[in-house]
Amino acid sequence: MAKNIIVIDDEEVVCRMTKMVLTKEGYEVETFTDSKKALERIKEKKFDLVITDLKMEDVDGMDILKTVNKLYPDAKVIMITAYATLDTAIEALRGHVFDFFPKPIKIEELKKSVKEALGK
Amino acid sequence: MKKNVLSIRQKINIALGIEAALLGIISICAFFSFKIVLSKLHFIEIFDELNISFLEMRKTEKNYFLYHDTNALQEAYQKGENAYYMLQRAQTSLVSTLGRQNYHALTSSLKQYLNTIQNLQKSQRPSILEELRLRKLGHRLTQFSSSLIKQEHKKINRIIHQNTMMFFASLVAVLLSQLFLWQYFFRFLAKKLLKMEALTKAVAKGHFHEVAIKHSEPNDEIGSVVNAISRMAQELEKREEQLLQAKKLASLGVLVSGVAHELGNPLNNISMLAEGYLSYYDSLSDEEKKNFMKEVQVQAERIRKIVRNLLDFSRQKQPEFKECSPIEVVEKSISLVENQLRISHIKLHKNYAPDLPAIYVDVDQIQQVLVNLFVNAIHAMPKGGRLFVDIQTNDKRDKVIIKVKDTGTGIKPEILPHIFDPFFTTKGTKGTGLGLSVSYGIIKQHHGKISVDTEVGKGTTFTIELPAYSSKQAKEGKHG
Repeated sequence: MAKNIIVIDDEEVVCRMTKMVLTKEGYEVETFTDSKKALERIKEKKFDLVITDLKMEDVDGMDILKTVNKLYPDAKVIMITAYATLDTAIEALRGHVFDFFPKPIKIEELKKSVKEALGK
Repeated sequence: MKKNVLSIRQKINIALGIEAALLGIISICAFFSFKIVLSKLHFIEIFDELNISFLEMRKTEKNYFLYHDTNALQEAYQKGENAYYMLQRAQTSLVSTLGRQNYHALTSSLKQYLNTIQNLQKSQRPSILEELRLRKLGHRLTQFSSSLIKQEHKKINRIIHQNTMMFFASLVAVLLSQLFLWQYFFRFLAKKLLKMEALTKAVAKGHFHEVAIKHSEPNDEIGSVVNAISRMAQELEKREEQLLQAKKLASLGVLVSGVAHELGNPLNNISMLAEGYLSYYDSLSDEEKKNFMKEVQVQAERIRKIVRNLLDFSRQKQPEFKECSPIEVVEKSISLVENQLRISHIKLHKNYAPDLPAIYVDVDQIQQVLVNLFVNAIHAMPKGGRLFVDIQTNDKRDKVIIKVKDTGTGIKPEILPHIFDPFFTTKGTKGTGLGLSVSYGIIKQHHGKISVDTEVGKGTTFTIELPAYSSKQAKEGKHG
């Protein structure tokens, strides 16, 4: 069974491109530009990997991370952010983030990281 | 030319000096009139004694005439002599009151009387003529002294009456002068204090500029206070500018991280699109390839918009002020969003006060502010609504007040303090977060004020206050 991934970013292009790339890699991908709706979706369905932006309105990446860690301790989280500071990186890594991507995201690196996360 | 105005201390000193002089004059007058009364009383005392001597002299004279008692004649002589010594002793005070002529008349009458007694004593058989002469002289003496006493009594009464009148008049004069002076000081101080009150109120309201340009005559203590307040306002104005600059610097930090985030996103999108385009070039259809490039264009436009706004924000462009009608500026701005209002199902309500004063503004900049407020209002009413645009002036006609009111979602209290911060936006990727901060800077540069009043679920009102164009500005040829 294909591994499922949820991508959360308020930038539609990020969602679309990530979905296109990862679908071609054989994953099942769901995308959300609205982090609130994404959080609800996470609560009702387990995803093997969560790729989320850090800075978003209403519900931010750290909120998503906390929920995933609580509900599905074995699920992996990849954090992306438009402007990375040391503080956000440390905070994210403390919250057991699998990987941390500052924008601009290199598609090849992302593919590699996803592969590692899902143990392919 | 500077008016030479007396200071309040000098004025009070002059007033006190006038009061003191008035009281001094009254006291001197009182002193002299009392002195006159006293001398008159002294005179009357002497004359009473003289009169008594004369009467006793005449009583013994009568005894002589009734009983032909020569001893009585001797007694009358002695009493007459006593009276004469008395006249001699009190010569100075009597001369000053009676005058030299009267005094001599009196003493010579008395001397003649005494001589007549002596003549009568000497003659064995006194002549009737001599006796008649004695009687006549004696009568004259008593008559003279009693008429003098009456006269002096009258004089004293007149002086006392005059003094009473004078004291009454002085009292009235002093009271009136007090009343006049205090009334004058009260009005004078109240006027000055009201002026100061107006200035301090203006400072409290943050209108430093209008206070800073007010000056008063420095000769006056209140004038110095007014000048001090004006200097304080100048300092506050300067500090406010510095504070604004400091805030600008502080917001630079926010700005930099904002720029990183704002530019980071579209740059990332372009980067991902380019990488994806190259990686999957062979498997992409022509249509998909076109869509990739279109998306790149959209993202590039996003960057361009951010950069343009950033330039607007940071540009220290000197505004080009000119006199114009507030209605004209508002109408021009409305025309730019009319189409958007129609599409968004927003009904526009205009309310312009008649006979509005002109404003002195950079038309493009004010238009930018207004369009920004209209666009914000449109975004706050996604399901349509009503937009009210009011232009009013205040009672003094020195301000033009433009209100932009919507019936939209309102602003949440927790974000209200940040709406004028650069890069603060509630519109996600749609907004740059620079619109209101740029507007704030523009209005500030026009010496105006922008404020907001909002209620969640009911709507928001933005109020812009701009100084009205005055002839003073026309003369200065510049703004403020």
